[in-house]
Amino acid sequence: MYDQLAIFRTAASLATHAAARQSAVAQNIANADTPGYKARDVPSFADTYQRVFATPLRASRAGHFLPGETAHQAPDMITATRPGAQSPNGNTVSLESEMMKAAEVKRDHDLAITIYQTSLGILRSSLGRAR
Amino acid sequence: MSDFKTSVAAATSGMQAQAARLRHVSENIANADTPGYRRKVVTFDAVRQAGHLNGQVQTGPVTLDQTTLPNIFDPSHPLANEQGYFEGSNVDLVIEIADAREAQRSYEANLKMFEQTRQMSKRLLELLRR
Repeated sequence: MYDQLAIFRTAASLATHAAARQSAVAQNIANADTPGYKARDVPSFADTYQRVFATPLRASRAGHFLPGETAHQAPDMITATRPGAQSPNGNTVSLESEMMKAAEVKRDHDLAITIYQTSLGILRSSLGRAR
Repeated sequence: MSDFKTSVAAATSGMQAQAARLRHVSENIANADTPGYRRKVVTFDAVRQAGHLNGQVQTGPVTLDQTTLPNIFDPSHPLANEQGYFEGSNVDLVIEIADAREAQRSYEANLKMFEQTRQMSKRLLELLRR
């Protein structure tokens, strides 16, 4: 039911995206010393969110699927577009940039959860219950 | 939640691999003066599950450093040959300490990711409260 409200949908998508990116960063850090490992990342949230919602479709019949139902799917992992310098053993993970990415992920996730929580509070207030 | 699971699994495998590496470093340092000891080298491999990388890491088979052992001159040593030389170990303490430092740094990075994933899933679960 909450999916129908755009703000919940956006916040949930951002949280899903942050979780997927967190998984990519954790895998990169775990493989920071693996020879030949190529750093991985997920496409940016702006790209994935826009791809799903760029062509707004409307469901005119009950059997139609809305693109909103696919929005919560985690984006696929790709090889990082701007990896760190390659070390002699072919590894392209840069611990520093992974740490920075991890901080971004944490911020995105916190943002999404906070927005979700606040919107939920507004919804509750409008129903006449105490927050 | 499955993304959090994979991140925790990746961070754990990373910590295990780095701990194994640190253990071999300490074995090497302990045997720095053992005659004929060759230093152990740990290799890291990305784990493949059904042909796909699952993001985890594991230590491969331990190999021995094949650089030539140094000849140490000490005629009074029980292992010394007619010329008074015996084979020492090829452990270089500087390399081992540098390796240990790197392992420690990587371990800390993995631990940080573990902590952060835990915080994120905790915040997510707090949504269910109230």
